[in-house]
Amino acid sequence: MYDKEKQLIDAYMRGTVSRRSMIKGLGAMGMTAATASVLVNAAATRALAQSGFDWQKHSGTTVKLLLNKHPYTDAMIANLDNFKALTGMDVVYDVFPEDVYFDKVTAALSSGSSEYDAFMTGAYMTWTYGPAGWIDDLNEYIFDDAKTNPDYNWGDMLEGVRKSCAWNGQPGGELGSDDAKQWCIPWGYEQNNLTYNGAMLANAGVAVPTNIDELVEAAAAAQAGNEGIYGIGVRGSRSWATIHPGFLSGYSNFDQKDLNVSDDGKLSAAMNTEVSKEFHRKWVKMIQDSGAPDWSTHTWYQVGTDVGAGKSAMIYDADILGYFMNGGGNAMAGELAYAPFAANPAASAPTPNIWIWSLSMSTFSRQKDATWYFLQWASGPEHGLFGASQMDFVNPVRSSVWEDAGFRKRLSDAYPGYVEMHDVSAPGASIKFTAQPLFFDLTTEWAATLQKMVANQVPVDEGLDELAESVDAQLKDAGLG
Amino acid sequence: MDQTSTLEKVLRRVAISLVILFFMFPIFWIVLMSFQTNETILRVPPSVIFEPTLSNYVALVTGKLETQAGTLEINFMSNLWNSLFLSAGSVAVGLILGIPAAYAFGRIKFRGSEDIAFTLLSFRFAPPLLVLLPLTIYFQKIGLADTYFGLIWVYQLIVLPLILWIVRGYFEDIPADIEYAYRIAGHSWFSTFRTVALPLAMPGIAAAGLLAFIFAWNNFIFALVLASADKQPVTVGALAFVTASGIQYGQVAAGIVLSILPTLALALYAQRYLVEGLSLGAVKG
Repeated sequence: MYDKEKQLIDAYMRGTVSRRSMIKGLGAMGMTAATASVLVNAAATRALAQSGFDWQKHSGTTVKLLLNKHPYTDAMIANLDNFKALTGMDVVYDVFPEDVYFDKVTAALSSGSSEYDAFMTGAYMTWTYGPAGWIDDLNEYIFDDAKTNPDYNWGDMLEGVRKSCAWNGQPGGELGSDDAKQWCIPWGYEQNNLTYNGAMLANAGVAVPTNIDELVEAAAAAQAGNEGIYGIGVRGSRSWATIHPGFLSGYSNFDQKDLNVSDDGKLSAAMNTEVSKEFHRKWVKMIQDSGAPDWSTHTWYQVGTDVGAGKSAMIYDADILGYFMNGGGNAMAGELAYAPFAANPAASAPTPNIWIWSLSMSTFSRQKDATWYFLQWASGPEHGLFGASQMDFVNPVRSSVWEDAGFRKRLSDAYPGYVEMHDVSAPGASIKFTAQPLFFDLTTEWAATLQKMVANQVPVDEGLDELAESVDAQLKDAGLG
Repeated sequence: MDQTSTLEKVLRRVAISLVILFFMFPIFWIVLMSFQTNETILRVPPSVIFEPTLSNYVALVTGKLETQAGTLEINFMSNLWNSLFLSAGSVAVGLILGIPAAYAFGRIKFRGSEDIAFTLLSFRFAPPLLVLLPLTIYFQKIGLADTYFGLIWVYQLIVLPLILWIVRGYFEDIPADIEYAYRIAGHSWFSTFRTVALPLAMPGIAAAGLLAFIFAWNNFIFALVLASADKQPVTVGALAFVTASGIQYGQVAAGIVLSILPTLALALYAQRYLVEGLSLGAVKG
């Protein structure tokens, strides 16, 4: 690097020059924004090295990662050279498409393979991997000063997100309890809120809905007021993934749960209460009146593609799905906006259920300390800020990144309402499911019941009673109920 | 003398055209999609009129995929090569092992022959995942995990039973008298196999080889579980276009077109060979 550029970046790191002045200055020196941001991160990495922590302790070691094809992965790979320079370590990785990714993870872990040291996972999956003894409790590393750099700042992680990755392994055990094990480190996460097409709502003369009744009406009005579209996109396939986004976020806003946990730790179905039935009735009506005609096949991809292509007026799904659909080659790029959504009119704020892409360490790794060096760097504040402000590492899981003025401005300029939506929702954002080993089976059955209700094969009340009965029976069979 | 009326001929051709159109339409639509951008593919209503682009093919060949999330690296051509290598390699090994075995099962009666043949066939019945997890552990211990050699070995689970059972039927259909006549003329057993039986069974061998190649080509679970990303076939690689930031329909379509080509070329070639082999058959029914 040329001295002038280096001096300017170091001045920015010391805080004597603003980010805007630095970028402007680098631009005047003929440097592109992308190159400048990599260099800025290199300077941040140099600053890390000055903390007194021995980053070179595992120099010469190679760690191998198993990663999902995702923008978070791309952001990490783009910044990886800085980690290599900082530590003298090498990092190799296998990237697999999401459709087959978890099959690969399960095969690698269940066979006890030591090929991969760390891997990406969802927090729900750790409810299987943790008790099976396939992944390590990362508390042993996070709170060890000899292994974790002093700038790691674990407390900077958003509380609801951090706790959602920790479980004590007891069926029904509270996430993030004092005795919980940190099965994974949050990396990036998704809240479930509204992404809407402002022009379509304006055409129909409806305001952005703020509760479930308004949502049902607005979806119907948007469909009627715009030719060739449907009102609202929500997932509908026979999968646990149909329950966890908008549906569970709205459901839990009415203080409803999936399961009850008794004092003696026994679990029982909780989805056939009167409040739950009322919520289900509204949800089913919304899909019947204004959902996708082929709703029962809709997954993440169809919900996102349709709002991006202008085939639906709104989605109640992951905020980053709306984020992705507002750019690139989508017909509606630049036309989408965002709003927090509290389904319950009496609720003070949204309570979105969340999906967390996280990092876990394989129990079978033969170089765990070196692997932890990678994990703490990849989930650290420097990489978090780089990824969020220069790549699509959104939503960041650290408060410090959300407080960064440059990041907030970048988001607000291109994604109207996104920052405000996050600020309003984040305090109530966490995993709303009860952690237990039958999670995938029971939640998939819930989705199947929802399909029957929408198809009018079973009335809502009867369907929920039958579902609760089946859930209770399965919990009893498994010794959990 | 041809008794078919003109009307009947026309109706027959119309009917054949309709059937061809029905079966070929999905392929035709995929080919059209492969020359479009995501935006034109997803427009409402869909249309066959568009400005064609080669960008999808360029992305696959150059390995650079432009998405909402920026430029992504893709390894489709490497996946295509892996599929070719794994399928061709495993069919070659399957033919070398399977043809003599099929001849033995078809011609020589020995104790337990049916049981052994059925055991080999039963490899096709086992759910792949049931076999793969224990295999992963063994492969890691003996150093075969994540190697082409190990994969071609495992692919025998698919191709060997297929080749063995199809070719065995062809050998059984060849009258033994032809071979006896050749043997009486003083030729060895191996010479008889090579000069008489093998050419006569060639249509069956071609059909079995083609079918085994297609089955091997379509497999994806073996490499997914047993190998790293750099050894994945096209069936796994094609899924890379389904990303969290959207489905790249144009590239998916271009990927399908490219991945169909080797099997299509082989099928066309083998079809000619099959007809030739049948017409040269020494035995009349």
